[in-house]
Formats: sequence, C-alpha cells, structure tokens
Amino acid sequence: MNRTRLPAGVLALVLATGAAAQAPRDEKRPANALEVLERSQAAFYYAGADMKARVTMELVAGAGKKRTRVLTMLRKNDSAGKRQKYFLFFHEPGDVRRTAFLVFKHPEKDDDRWVFVPAMSMVRRVAASDSRSSFVGSDFTYEDVSGRDLSADTHALLREEKLDGTDCFVVQSVPNAGAEYTKKLAWIDGRTFLPLREEYYDARGALARVFTADKVEPVLGSDGKTWPTVSVRTMKQVQSGHATVVRFEGVAYGVGLDDTLFTERALQDPPQRWTR
Amino acid sequence: MLDKTLRALAAFSIERPRLVIGLTLSATLAFASLLPRMTVDTDPKHMLPETSAVRRHNDQVEKDFALHADVLVVGVVQEEGVFDSETLSSIARLTSEIQRIPGVVSRDVTSLATVDDVTAEEGGLAVRPLLRRIPDSEDELAALRRAALGNPLLAGRVVSRDGTAAAIAVPIEPQANGKQIADEIRRLLPKESAGVRYLLAGDPLARDTFGAEMFRQMALFSPLAGLVMCLALWLMFRSLPLVAANMGVALVGIAWSMGLLVGLGFPVHIMSSMSPVFLMAIATDSVHIFNELAFRVRDVGWSRDVRGAILETIAAVGKPVFYSDVTTAAGFAALATAHIVPVRIFGLVVAFGTLVILLMSFTLVPAILALLPEQRLARIVRRARETSEREPSLLARLGDLCQRRAGVLAAAAALLLALAAVGLFRIRVNNNMVHWFRPESAVRAADRELNERLGGTATGYLVVEGRDADAMKDPALLRAVEGLQRELERDPLVGKTTSLVDVVKRVNRALHKDDPAFDRVPDSADEVAQGLFLLATSARPSDLDNLVDYPFQQTNVTLQLKSWDAGAMRGVIRRAEEHLARHPLPGGATLAPAGVAHFNMVWSDEVLWGMLESFLAGLVLVLALLVAQTRSLRWGIVAFLPLLFTIVVIYGVVGLIGKDFDMPVAVLSTLSLGMAVDFAIHFVARFQQRHREGGELRDALVYTVARPGKGIFLNALLFASGFAVMVFADLTPYVTVGVLMAAVMLLSALASVVFLPGLISFFRGVLLQGGAK
Repeated sequence: MNRTRLPAGVLALVLATGAAAQAPRDEKRPANALEVLERSQAAFYYAGADMKARVTMELVAGAGKKRTRVLTMLRKNDSAGKRQKYFLFFHEPGDVRRTAFLVFKHPEKDDDRWVFVPAMSMVRRVAASDSRSSFVGSDFTYEDVSGRDLSADTHALLREEKLDGTDCFVVQSVPNAGAEYTKKLAWIDGRTFLPLREEYYDARGALARVFTADKVEPVLGSDGKTWPTVSVRTMKQVQSGHATVVRFEGVAYGVGLDDTLFTERALQDPPQRWTR
Repeated sequence: MLDKTLRALAAFSIERPRLVIGLTLSATLAFASLLPRMTVDTDPKHMLPETSAVRRHNDQVEKDFALHADVLVVGVVQEEGVFDSETLSSIARLTSEIQRIPGVVSRDVTSLATVDDVTAEEGGLAVRPLLRRIPDSEDELAALRRAALGNPLLAGRVVSRDGTAAAIAVPIEPQANGKQIADEIRRLLPKESAGVRYLLAGDPLARDTFGAEMFRQMALFSPLAGLVMCLALWLMFRSLPLVAANMGVALVGIAWSMGLLVGLGFPVHIMSSMSPVFLMAIATDSVHIFNELAFRVRDVGWSRDVRGAILETIAAVGKPVFYSDVTTAAGFAALATAHIVPVRIFGLVVAFGTLVILLMSFTLVPAILALLPEQRLARIVRRARETSEREPSLLARLGDLCQRRAGVLAAAAALLLALAAVGLFRIRVNNNMVHWFRPESAVRAADRELNERLGGTATGYLVVEGRDADAMKDPALLRAVEGLQRELERDPLVGKTTSLVDVVKRVNRALHKDDPAFDRVPDSADEVAQGLFLLATSARPSDLDNLVDYPFQQTNVTLQLKSWDAGAMRGVIRRAEEHLARHPLPGGATLAPAGVAHFNMVWSDEVLWGMLESFLAGLVLVLALLVAQTRSLRWGIVAFLPLLFTIVVIYGVVGLIGKDFDMPVAVLSTLSLGMAVDFAIHFVARFQQRHREGGELRDALVYTVARPGKGIFLNALLFASGFAVMVFADLTPYVTVGVLMAAVMLLSALASVVFLPGLISFFRGVLLQGGAK
C-alpha cells in the first residue's frame, strides 16, 4: 500500500467544509473532482468528533433468504489527521453475541484489526486482507465502510445533474492499480456532499455493484451542529442478486468516546454503557 | 379395401404424373423453406422435462449454494511444477483475461490467482489472496508451494497434489455457449513453451463441442450416405431415373419431416440429427417395387403396356410395402412412450417421415415410372435379365438348401441364441458424454489428463440437510459429515470431497496458531459459529456460500469424480447409503444427491427403463401389425421369429464385446424393431400370394427366396451401405448407430430368407390349413 498523507492545509479545508456542509450551495463551489470527493468523504465518514449507532445489516440472497447481523458501531476520529478508531460489538446472531472487533484505520498503511472470540475467550489479531474483502460477510467491503484512499484513483468530474430531484456532481474514479472494479461513478449531493448513488463496473465494463443512500436524516450533534446522515443504505450485487441493506439507528455525534474504549482490554469486556 | 385404395392411388399417379410431381415438389419446397430456422440443443439436462423432480431439485441446490451448472476447466500443466514465476504469471494473466470474456461469470472464476488462503499469521487468523503478487525469490516460491499444497481446500482442486498442474475453473452463464467460450480461451492461451501445456475440459465444452460437431458430421454424412446408396442402386439397376426416383422419395421424406420439426419450434437433438440417414435408408423400401417391376417386365415383355406393368407391380408388392412401412413407422412411434423428450421427438419425426415415404411409394414413384421413356425401361429390363440368369438360380438353390437343411440351421440358430444369452446378461448400462468423442480427440485427451492429475472433472453433490436452521454448527453432525467424506474418498473414482467441515477445521487450526492438533472440528457449536463468523468477516462471501446455505441448515459435500460414467455416481451413492446405515447422521439429518454427475446417472437410468418399456411396446405393436397383415396369429408369430432372433443376437454381441448400453444403443433397440421386420413381411406376403395362386409349397418357397428374396437382399445391402458410412464419423454415437444398423439389417435379411423357408415347411401343418388358404 503506497498511500500519501494529505497536506495539513487540505485537511483543514476538508474538515472545515465538512462542518459547513449545511451551508448554502453558492458559498464555495468545489474546483475539481478531487475536491468534491474530499468533501464527500468528510461528510460521509468523518462527521462529528465521534459517533455511536446501532447498526442492523440484512444480507439478502435471492429467493428471500436472509441473514441478519446487529451490532453497535462506535467511531472516534483522531484529533489530527485522517486516522480513526472503530469499535464493533455484535448482538446478533445469538451464537456470535459478544464477538467484538477493534479497528485502527491508518490512511498511510494497512489497518490494524483485532477480534475477541467469546467461545474461545481470546483476542486475536486479524490480518487485514486487501480492499476487496467483505465487511462482516456483507456486500460492503471494508473500504466501503471506512473510505478508500483518494490517491489510489484518478478522478474526473463528468457533469452536474439531478438525481431524483437533487442536484448532484457526477464523479468518475478509475483505479491506478488493479482493484475489484475498473470504474466507479458517484452521484454526490451538491449540498450535503453525501454520496447518493455509486456504480461499480467490472473488468468487462459491466455494472457489478450499486450503492444507494436510501434515506438521509439530519442528526443534531452534541456540539449543536446538524449532521446529514445516511440512515438507510443498500449495496446490491447486480449480477448475482445478492444485496445488503444497512440501517443506522440511534445515531449520535459527539458522545464523548475516550481512548480507553479502544483497547484490547475493553474488547474483552466493553463498558456496558456503550454496548447496550 | 387396402389393395383397392393403393391401386387407385397408383392409377391416379400414372394418369396424372405431372400433376402429382408438381404437387409433391411444391409441398416439399414449402417444408424445406422452414429448415433455415433450425436450432440445436445438446444439453443433457433437456433430456428430462423441466418439471421432472430431479431437475427441480438440482436447480434448487444450485440456487441454495450459489453454484453454477456449467463450469469449464482450464488445466495448466508443467511437469517441473507450476510454482515458478513464469507459470504463475501466466496463470494470473490468463485468469484476468478469461474474466473479461462475455458469458463468463467473472466473479466466480477460481484459480491460484483468485483464491483466498486461510492461515495463522502473527498469532491470529489471516484470510488473504494466496497470490498477492508473483514471487520472484526461490524462498517465496517454495513458501507459496507449501501454502497451496498444505491447504486441503486448495490441493486437488485449484492445484494438483503433486504441484504439476493448476486449474482455472470458469463458470459460464446458463445461456452461454461452452464451445464458443472455450474457443475464446484457446485464443488467449500463450504458445506452449518451456514445458507448459494448456488443457481445456468440462461438461459444457463436451456438450457444446458435440453440438457443433453434430451439425458438421451430419452435413457430411447424410449426403455421403445418400451418395453411397445412389451408387449401390445404380450398380443394381444401372438406371439413373430409378436412382433419382429412390432418392427423390428420400429427400421428400427428409424435407417434410425435418421441416415439420423445425416449423413446430423444436430444436434438433443428437437423435433427430440422424433422421436424414434413417429416412434415406427407409426410402430404399421402394427397391421392392423396382425389383418386381424388372422381373414383371421381363416376364411379360416390355413392348406391352408399361402402365399396366406398373399397376400389376403395385398390386403384387403394394401390401407388403404398405405393411413394412407401417411397422417401421410404428417402431419409431413407439419411442413416443419414452420419458426422454428428444427421443420422443425423434421417434415421431421419423415415424412421420416414414409415412411420407409410404405415400410417395404409391404416388411419386409410379408417376416417375410412368414418365420414363420406354427405351430406358428396356435397358432396366435387359440388365435385370442378365443378372437374373445367374442370381435367382443361386438364390433358388439357397431356398432349396434352406428347406432341406432346416435341422442344421435350427441347431446353428440355437447355438447362436445360447451364446447371445450369455452376452445379454453381461450388458452394462452406462452413459458417458465424454466417451461420445473418439479416444484420441482433444476433448477426451484433456479430460483424461486432468482426471489423472487433479481431483476429477465430473462434479456431484451430496447435500446434507439438518432438521433446523443452524444445524450445520453442531459439532456432532459436522464430525459425521467428515466421517462420510473419508469413507467416500476410499472410492478410487472419487478424487476429492469438499464440505463446510474442511473450512471449519481450517479456521479452527488457524485460530490456534496453526497447531496441527486443532485441525479438527471444535467441541462447541459456539466455537464453530464464531470461527465461521470470523471467516466471513474477512473472506469473500462466495467462499462459504458454495458450501453452506444461508440458514446454516444444509451443507453441500462437493465430489470431484474421475469419470463421467453414470455408474461412478451410483457407486458413490451406494457407498454413502451403506455408510449411513452403519453410522446414521445425528439429529435426523438427511442426505440427497445432486449435481451433473447425479443428473447423468438419473437420465441414464431413465433411458434404460424408458427404452425397455418402448421396446416391449414396440414388440407388441409389431406383432399386432404382423397378425393384422397376415390375418393369422400363427403366421404373425412365424414372421416375428427372425426379428426376435436378430435382436437377441445383436444385443448378445453388444454384451459380449463389452460395449456400454448407452443412449444411442438403447434407442436403436426400439427403432430397429420396425425396420428389421420389413424383410419377414415381404417374404411372408409374397410367399402367401404365390402359394394362393396354386403353387406347390416347395416351389412357392424357392420362388419366394429367389424373387422377392433378391429384393430383400438388395434392400438390406442398400440400407447397410448407407449406414456403414457413419463408421468414419468423429462422434462415437454415429459410429455405434452406423455399425449396429448395418448389422441389424443384414442379419435380419439373412435370418428372414434363411430361416423362414425352414420354419414354414416345418410348421406347414399348422400354418397352411387355417391361416393361408
């Protein structure tokens, strides 16, 4: 992985624009595709200083067969840089209850991941596999959940158009090196900068996966800011018919997560106030 | 009544030859205009109707486990081992290029370049692509080799256990053509260099190559068979118009029946592709008309009224021609009782074509004969006179001999029947699509080599289903499945088995720092569940989907078989049942087979029993028609005996030489009935006629052997020569059909002419008082 750290200036700008996502459209128009995507990542992955949500994932195979996972997701942004820490605590299915993951996301290198396996009461490192690996068996990849390094792709702002009545930037991203897709088209809300639709194309140029933000809600953070949040999202595998529908419930920003939560010890025995 | 109708039809055709020929021609053109819409279908699955239980179950299993019905296999063979940078990069490049071919299910293409490896790393579980980049140092290559061969989920599947061959599994979309995709893959293959060889195999390749070949072979052999028959006809009669009349009848029959088939929207299958050859052979029945006409014109002198001679000929041979064609049609129509859809269609198509030929014998043939200039007819007669000087006397002596030496002949027949009976008991029912190609063909050679090196190219499934959801997390059930797998692997035809158990064990070991002691199913259901959950959090979902269904109620034990024999799967199922009788699955879990190998086994059985039913139906039908024709049960039975003799001897030989009783052979058994009985019909009808006209028994028999007997031999020779051409076909079912049909027709002609005189004179007491007046 050869990722470059973003200059601090750009980052400050990103965070600033992210915070001002609700501002009227004419305030500051992004100059190019990269800027659109930077503002989009800030709005989608970095909202608030921290976040807590109860996440329900429904994995749907054809013919109505379903697997459900319910987890508590806790996220904390590092005060500087794009680093983040994730804590994932599983409630369902019943036989994996108390399984928990700890993920340290580093923009400049592979993530660190640990898992607590309650049946063996042990914490193990999980070697991060590449970007294509699935997030807890769903149709989302780890990258989809925590964001892809923008310097890995070459971007182009194709056009601006309305998607279901919302003004959107349409950005095309082509990976510089081999990836699971050969081309991605993203429709990014011109006001909130949230991605509303993404299309991933395979090596043959055929549509392979489609992401849709099915429901966007404003969430008032403890800092008094309102964060537009995608509360229902779907990733559909067009060719196999597999799909994963994810609901974020009880989303709260700025809840005051502290670093002691993101430790091996807490992984084995997390504080109840966070996992209830 | 029948006589009158036939004669009226012939008389009308002689009166208005141009009208009859014109009408026939326009109808033929109308049917022929449908032919360009022809489509082929070679999928063995379509042998059984969509609603059949086995097809439905198979579709369900494929859906439950996200499996693909059609998978091509590309083998990469390197005797020195595939773990060198060059071979590995060639596999990686080929894999990604294959993923780009339209019709390939890219996401599920599996090779060393796409698979994940589950290992222990830094004290934890690691699921990552086996081949993240092509290693260049010897150490890295050796480590990769150890990793691949040490992982039971990979060794024997994507790489051979000895490391000399790697496989790229290429699932294709249901509507894609396996041969076209295989051709595209072939174009991508690098030049074979430095000992690397590339092989292509798999069910869709065999099937679709077969489909393409089928067209080519029939386009070659149908005209060739026609040409050979034309040549034989010309040698017999030295008359081009007669050859043309015969071939005209055949072409009309082919055009009408194939046109109807295509027009009704049916695809052409392996069986119906042979219809033209069958119809050409059946059309040679009109030889009896020419033969009799030649004798008749010679007897009465050709200067007399030619039209009268034609009418008299029709009067003499009309009834046997009618009945022999009707029995042929009935024999084919009996196939309509089969469960196998394409066989049913084939039977009806040829039955229809035969009836068309029958109609032509009484319309087109007399019309053409009526238009013949008299010198032409004169030449035919001269030719007939020359040969008749020699042959009939030869045949007459044969007729005489057959009566005097009836005892010796009967003893010889009994001996043959006893030998044949031994063969009948040794008949082995089997179906093997790969064996439909010649042993030296590329398809079969590739299949053979991949089966030697890798786990096996034929796929079968045994689906274990627990009573409730999450049953597959129960350690006791998983251990029972593991026991079943070990038992099945003792079968030499089972190359490899894979199930959820293999994954569970692998994960357990990785979670315990790669300690071999933990290469086993863990003790609690929660451990199983959490191990699998952990795997699912880092592997691709499809890695598990093929092995376990969504609610964890079923696991799919995938079998790689080294043979496409239907019997291989039967052996596996029997072994599984015996094992489960001793060690029942806990918790009331059940087992159900599926997959291509199982499907082949089921339809192979259907072919046998379906064809046996059709065969018995055909026997009864033919006997009934014989009784109807002779208006006597006794005569019917006597005429039936040469046929029975022929069938028993032929199938006895099939058993003795160890030829598999497969679909082509099974179908032939039924339809040869209707054709092989023709000779006895002609013989008995003409003998009865002669005897009625007041001949003495002995003379009447000699006459029959000499005169209609000549027609019978000519007919059989023509028939056999047409079919014998197919011996040179590249596809073995055509060879089988060619050899068997030629043998059946020659033996049946011989049996009719040689045994009937003896039988008739032996049973004359019973036959000649009541039956024949």
